[in-house]
Amino acid sequence: MVSKRVTCTGCSLLCDDIIIRTDGLYIDEVIGACLKGKEKFDCTTGQNRILSPMIRKNSELEKTSLENAIKKAIEIIANSSKPILYGFSTVNCQAQLMGIELAKCVNGFIDSNSIICHGKVMNAAKQTGMTLSTISEVINKTDLLIFWGANVAESIPRLLNKALFSRGKFRMTGREIKTIVIIDPAKTASFNVMGVRDIALQVEPGKDIELIRALKEECCSPNSIPSNGVAGADKEDLKRLLIQLTNVENGVIFIGQGIVGSSRSSEVIKELLELIQMINAQQQKGRMSLMMLGGHYNMVGFDHVALSTYGKNHSLQFSDNELVETSDTIVSKINNGDFDCSIIVGSDPVSHLPWTLSKKLVSKPLILIDNKKSATFNCAHVVIPSTITGIESGGLGYRLDHVPVELYKIVNPPEHIISDEEILLKLINGLK
Amino acid sequence: MDLVLNTVRMVDYDQVKEYSCGDENSLKENLAICILNPEDIKKLNLTPSLNLKLANQYGEVVVKVKENKDIPSGTVLMPVSIWANLITGIDDEQLIFKNIKVSAEATRDAILTIKELLNKIIP
Repeated sequence: MVSKRVTCTGCSLLCDDIIIRTDGLYIDEVIGACLKGKEKFDCTTGQNRILSPMIRKNSELEKTSLENAIKKAIEIIANSSKPILYGFSTVNCQAQLMGIELAKCVNGFIDSNSIICHGKVMNAAKQTGMTLSTISEVINKTDLLIFWGANVAESIPRLLNKALFSRGKFRMTGREIKTIVIIDPAKTASFNVMGVRDIALQVEPGKDIELIRALKEECCSPNSIPSNGVAGADKEDLKRLLIQLTNVENGVIFIGQGIVGSSRSSEVIKELLELIQMINAQQQKGRMSLMMLGGHYNMVGFDHVALSTYGKNHSLQFSDNELVETSDTIVSKINNGDFDCSIIVGSDPVSHLPWTLSKKLVSKPLILIDNKKSATFNCAHVVIPSTITGIESGGLGYRLDHVPVELYKIVNPPEHIISDEEILLKLINGLK
Repeated sequence: MDLVLNTVRMVDYDQVKEYSCGDENSLKENLAICILNPEDIKKLNLTPSLNLKLANQYGEVVVKVKENKDIPSGTVLMPVSIWANLITGIDDEQLIFKNIKVSAEATRDAILTIKELLNKIIP
């Protein structure tokens, strides 16, 4: 039995300080992981692990060999003229690259979960620019943390430990000099860490944009905030927030699903990015930056892989084995029925997309490459099980702050289970 | 009664956890739920034996109600799941998971299991 320090792929924080005890076959003990991380390690022996390739016959999924499943998947893709590939946020960068290669090989369309999450921020930043920060900078320097539409205590559980309760290299003080601001319509679990100097803004649902506009206005002409406040937030609290924003040495705004999942999200994100630029223009001492709290551990990776290979961070459409311009996204592709088969890798769109889209998605042949059962598993025509990256296979992942982190194999995968990358390579080779 | 729906991620009601380690019953118990302010529960005349039906232009869903005084009155939270996504939708090619208008009423209708839900879409 040996102890190892490993990186956790439970969420996008990719904590690299987890200790596990293993005999090389099983993980016996996990020390230092949060609930989400512990669940990830438990997945290896979980009851819902997919351990056999499957093919749908007479409306039922039946076990088959890997060769048969690959053959069936190749048959479906070869008979398709408009395949779509989706997911890729819980696989390593090598598999993401292979996914793009497969899309190119079959003249398909590929998108990742990022397009319905923080990819929207990346798109808005193409017009406005964006100031980013890293977790190390947050730990070592930050004195103001703003969580906007993000229940960080439950979505990225260890971020508060690292960012709020840490003593930085360049600051000998810790929590006592750090201020947090939480902007959310509901009093979430994250509110429990707030102290007397912190600011809680319970805004009215859907009114974030009014708040951002009021802060921008106040930046240009002081005392413009109405006496009754804005969007349910008190005038005095808003003034305190603005003082913090413009006087802080190093501040970070963490944005979550409350911002990226709302209606008018593109508008809200654009205005928020502009607000950060306005604040930085007025800053005397330091700067404000932004960090996106995507959930899946390598969602950022797809954006980097796609950008570095084809200069576009999402929604890649290939024709004649070349990238072509398109305004489509995975949402419009499914919604318009503009596909004839789908290859889903490491994702569960049937659970996380609206029902109307799920119905359209499963109405056509669906090939699933994943390691655990899900709603999408139950609707798939072909299921090919894969290893759990960061536990049973290695590779590269990108942390939520866009820092690449190497992931390592810890234990051997179950018999006959291969990595996402190898499965995708088999599909490419079979189609050539 | 009209409410505003927000779908949220919560550690205790997490679909990834349920799909990894749970079963059909735990999926229903932990994901086919919504969280309401006690005042709204009173206004809806909900008793422990009743469920809540939420409906809008996208569809309808029947869920179990849990109480939490920290949820603002007029807001209903649902954990991200296939049940919540029965009443989320698309607007101008953007997926809408937050601030969705729903009408709510107490009901004796049963909550659908994951199997019953999937049978509705499996071709």
